[in-house]
Order: sequence, then C-alpha cells, then structure tokens
Amino acid sequence: MSQQPLVELHGVYRSFEKERVRIPVLQDIHLNVYPNEVLCLVGESGCGKTTTGKIIASLLDASEGEVLYNGRRMAEYDRKERSLIRRQMQLVHQDPFASLNPAHTIGQILGYPLKRHKMVNGRAELRRRIWELLTLVDLTPPGDIVNKFPHQLSGGQRQRVSIARALTVNPKLIVADEAVSMVDVSIRIGILKMLHNLRDMFNLAIVFITHDLALAKYFAWEGRIAVMYLGRIVEIGRTQDIIANPAHPYTRALLSAVPEADPNLTRKKQPIPLRSDEIPRLTAIPPGCAFHPRCPFYQPGVCDVSVPRLAQAPGYAQDTACIPLTTGEQLVPYGT
Amino acid sequence: MFETVATTTGLIIGFFCGLLPLGLGIKYQQIKPGIIGFVACLLSGFACGMWGGVPMIILSTSVVVSYIYVNRQDPFTSRQSLDEVDFEESTQEYIVRQMASLGRTIRAMSRGLLRNKGGFIGFLGIMFFVVMTVFGPLVIEYEGDIQMDRRQPGATTLLQPPSWEYPLGLDWWGRDIVSHIVYGGQNLIITSIQAGVMSTLIAVTLGSLAALLGGLVDQLISALSNFILTIPQFPLLLVLASILEFDNSFMLAVLLAVLSWPALMRAVRAQVLSLKERDYVEAAITLDLGLYHIIMREIFPNMISYIAINFIFAVRAAMYAIVGLVLLGMSPLTEPDWGIMIWNSRTQGAFYSAKGITWALAPIVAIALFQLSLILFTRSLEEIFNPRLRKGL
Repeated sequence: MSQQPLVELHGVYRSFEKERVRIPVLQDIHLNVYPNEVLCLVGESGCGKTTTGKIIASLLDASEGEVLYNGRRMAEYDRKERSLIRRQMQLVHQDPFASLNPAHTIGQILGYPLKRHKMVNGRAELRRRIWELLTLVDLTPPGDIVNKFPHQLSGGQRQRVSIARALTVNPKLIVADEAVSMVDVSIRIGILKMLHNLRDMFNLAIVFITHDLALAKYFAWEGRIAVMYLGRIVEIGRTQDIIANPAHPYTRALLSAVPEADPNLTRKKQPIPLRSDEIPRLTAIPPGCAFHPRCPFYQPGVCDVSVPRLAQAPGYAQDTACIPLTTGEQLVPYGT
Repeated sequence: MFETVATTTGLIIGFFCGLLPLGLGIKYQQIKPGIIGFVACLLSGFACGMWGGVPMIILSTSVVVSYIYVNRQDPFTSRQSLDEVDFEESTQEYIVRQMASLGRTIRAMSRGLLRNKGGFIGFLGIMFFVVMTVFGPLVIEYEGDIQMDRRQPGATTLLQPPSWEYPLGLDWWGRDIVSHIVYGGQNLIITSIQAGVMSTLIAVTLGSLAALLGGLVDQLISALSNFILTIPQFPLLLVLASILEFDNSFMLAVLLAVLSWPALMRAVRAQVLSLKERDYVEAAITLDLGLYHIIMREIFPNMISYIAINFIFAVRAAMYAIVGLVLLGMSPLTEPDWGIMIWNSRTQGAFYSAKGITWALAPIVAIALFQLSLILFTRSLEEIFNPRLRKGL
C-alpha cells in the first residue's frame, strides 16, 4: 500500500494513572490506517483495543510516541484544520443506549452537526439531508423516526442513528468500537452489511474493534486484522493470511476456540490448551513476551528474557511478535 | 409584578388574548383545548396584565395548534419516499410547525404533572397560595389599624376566638386574622423565591465551572464551599443580619443566597462530572460541536429536573430562614407578613391564652402547608422534565 495513511501510530505508549499507580495500557504500538480499508482490532477485554481506537479518533493523546493524521502531528495543524481533521475521524460507540442524548429527538441529534459545520443551506436542505441520512442507514420511513426520542427506538435502530450521526460530517474514517456487541444477534449482520455498503459508497476506512474473532473474520475478510494482547499488537496482517495460517500462539489459540457452523468441523478441531487461563494484570505485566506464562509453546530462557518485536516470520505472510518464530525455529509444545 | 394585579385592564387584556386560541379552536373543531386556552389567557392576563397575557397567548395557541396539526400533511411525519417529499416550506408553515412542537412539549409536561398524585396535590397547594395572594385582595380588605369599635362588652382585650363573622378570630388590635393571612404571604413568598433563584444561579454556574474546568478553579471553588459549609449557617445569618440591619427584603434574599449555595453547588458539580463522561458528550467532541453546545445542549437538559428540584428546596430553606429571622426580630418588620404574625402573637402572649390560639396557629399552618405543597410538588418535577417519561407523543 503506497497510499498516504489516514492515521499513523509510531511507537505509541499510553498509560493511565489510578491511585498513584501507573497502568501501562498501550506499549509500543505501530499501526497505519489506510483510506478505504477495513482494519479489525481483536483481543480480550483490557488489552487496549478501545484506547487504540480513541487515539485513532484523536479523543486521547499518546503518552509517548508519535501519532500522525494525514502525515502530520495534530499540533502542527492550526485551529481550523484541526477541527476538520478531528471531524474526519468519527467514533461509533459500543452502547447505543448511552451514546445518544436522551433529551433530543433524532432529527435534532442529526441536525446539530449539520448546522454547526454549515453542511447545508437553509431549512429545507437540512431536512432533506436528515432524511437522506436516515435512508442511508436503513431507517425507513424516515418520517417516522425524525421526531422520536432515542428511548423510543430499539438498540439496533439507535446504533443506526449513531452511525448516521457519524456520517453527518463526511468522515474519512469510522472507528466502530464493539459497535454490534450490544445489539441483538439477529440484527448484527444487517448492521455489518450496511457498514460495508457505506464504506464502498463514501470511500470510508473502518477500524472495527471487537473481541470476537469470528466477527472480525466475517467483517474484515478483504481487510486486515491486528491481534492485541496486554497492550501490544502480537500479530498483524491480511485477514485471509491470518485465518488460513495463524502464526502467533495466541492467535492460534483464539482461532482454535472459534466454533464453526459445521458441527463435524468443530469436533475435528484440535483446541490448543493454554497453560493458564489467568490474564496477568496490567500493573504486573510479565517480563519478555507478555504471553509467555500462558503460552503452550513457551521456551524458557528465550521468551521470558527479551520483548519480541513485530516482524515477518519465515513461512508466514503476516507480521508477528514471537521470538522463536521470527528467528526461524519451529514451535515445540512446552515440556516435551 | 404585583402592581398590575387583578385590574379591569388586566381582565380586558386577558379576554382579548384568549380570543386567538378560542377562535382557532372553534374554527378547526378543537373546542376543548380552545376553551382551556381562553380561560388560561383570561386568568393570567387578569393576574399579571400584559406580562401574563402575552406569554400565555403563545403557549395556549401552541397547544391548540398541536391538536390541529396532527391531521395536516407534514413532510416530517409522512411515509413518502425521499423523491416525493417537498422539503420547501414557507416561513408561516415553519412557525406553525415549531408552535405545534412547542404545544406537544407543553402537553407532555402537563401530562407529567398529572401522572403523580402527590405531586399534583402539591401543585394544587401552590396554586391555592398563589391565587390567594394574587386574587384574595380583591375580595378581602386589609386591616392595618387598631379596631377599637370591635371590643366586646366586658372584655379586657380586643382578642377574639373564631366566630361566624371572623372565621379565624381577631388579633390583639382587633384586626381580622383572615386579612393578614391573605396579605401576609406575598412578601415572604417573593423573597424566598428571589433567594432561591439567586442561590440556584450561583450554584449552577460555579458547579459547572468547577466540574468542567477542573484543576485550580475546581479546588478554589470547592475550598470556598467547604469553608462556608463548615460555618453554622443560622447563627452566622443572625450576626450578619444584625450588623447589616436590612431595610429591604431584597438585600435579605441576597444574603440568604450567598450563604446557601454551597450544598447545591457540590451536587451540581457531581452531576456535571458524571454527565461529561457520557458517550454522547464524547460524540459531540468528535463532531466538534463546541463547548457552548456541550454545556447547553448535551449536559444542561439532562440535569434540569435535578436543578428544578433543588431550586424548590432552596426556596423552602430560604423561607424557614426568613421566618426564623423575623421571629428573632432581626429582619425588616413590615406588616403584613406571616412571620411577623407569629412574632406579634408571641410577644402579646397569645400562646398562653385559649382565645389567641388561632392568631398563633394560622400563620404557622399557612407556612407549613405552603412548605408541604412545595415538597410534594418536587415529586412531579422529575416526570415533567424527563423526556424518557413522556409517552405517546
């Protein structure tokens, strides 16, 4: 990809302070988001997916490292440009019940940004645009929706309103933070398909944050997946490569746990048992590779000494952060 | 406000204001809201002249319009597809649509008022006192001077227990207690409301500033409020009142407000701190809607019921403080006033005589009932202002 990335994260660290204890949430994140691509961030809860998403959406600053928007740091832009850049990155929240203000009607929620940024001229155009947006997110007939309050809509409908609100300012990138995890399963596919259509229609890039690898596989089949573990990216590459040939032991374990629709296939799957089910706390991240206490292919003296860096391993198309793999060794189950 | 109380001019203004909603109601066959609008205009015009009639004409007409508008073709509520809809509208259509939306809100609010029984009783109580202080003077004459001619044969004082002629009896100077109850609420209620408004304004401004700006501003405001909270309020009020020697009740309201904002300020600060972390505020930041929009449109509407409830509590506390000051003789003693009635009855020994029992009790009961109405009314406020509880519109 030779295009100019929309957002570049170079060696980004982010930590939060809680009761005078520094909690490192993100460590050494290198990530580019290109125009019109689908990038999935996958990982367990607490691994820093949402924080990464918020940094991409410029809602949070990095503690260390560089974040470039359209090739420049936010501080290099003047006020007007900054506002424009900020609007190019929109966030769709996880909880559709909390992301819409209960005091406003849907028409008002969509109208405020349109009016504020002068996206429309006059009342008639404003109303036309609101109808258009509601039609785009399949909330039809729009006339029934505009005068309703959020509490009168279902979870799926609200999530569609929240996507429509993100579209009001013509963004180039949408960060969908677990956007369908709180929506009924029967409605999820509809919303995901709609997001795909919108991406084609408006040339959007979508950063899709999820803990569900099956969902990531479905949604980002044409795009990329970044697997995160305890604040680091452990594997990143094209979805098809990762699903067909997972490199990092953590990704392998995750994939082996994904149930398949075919029961025969699921039964044939060999689950990769982890050595421990306990996720280490962020305040006490293990030395070396953070995954080594749970890794079934742990090599003492190698994995617990130095921190692995993302690199292409021989035999794999994607980048992975695993020392034995990147040095060209075979993974041997621990204890044999 | 009370200069224009209940005059014939006010009645005429109210009548002409009421003609608009009534006429609209008759023309579009919405007789009931039309008549209600007419009566509302008439009464508010009668009570406050232009200041009551003109706002009421807008409100009541909006309600009538909202009934009529339901049946009209509105591109915003139709089921047509995008190409069939004509989004152009004239200014007149726009005004009508806005009025209909205002009317719907008023209807939803009044429905919220009716939903809670206790709250509605409180509302009726408050209305009773308002009507009594505004319209009472039309019926009952105020007796300020001593009435020597009412002395009964053989009696040593003018004090009299209730009788058919004087339902609440006569006070030490032979004046009708009913007239003092009717006239005595005005000053007390207005001063309490003034104190409540000012206290709420200070608290909301400082509370939101502290929560939104944080850092040093937050620490300074919090420290100041903690400082004021630690001082015993009533003794301080007493000392200040005796030093300052008020000659008008507005200054008293200012003093009460200055001393009573910290508790509400802390509550508002906590609310804003919680509300500003909501997802929809974050969405407003990524949409770059600006700080003013975030405060006024995203945060404020969600705490308005909370502020209204606390405003009522502030009014209640101010009223107790004023009565307390009057009882101790630390406030301007201008009759008629419920507080001064208690003071007079106490100093003239009515507490110790069976004949004077109504003189002592009447103002106490009036104050207690008004306070009770306020407290009951707060129950309805949540239902009036919370859009989530508005159904069906």
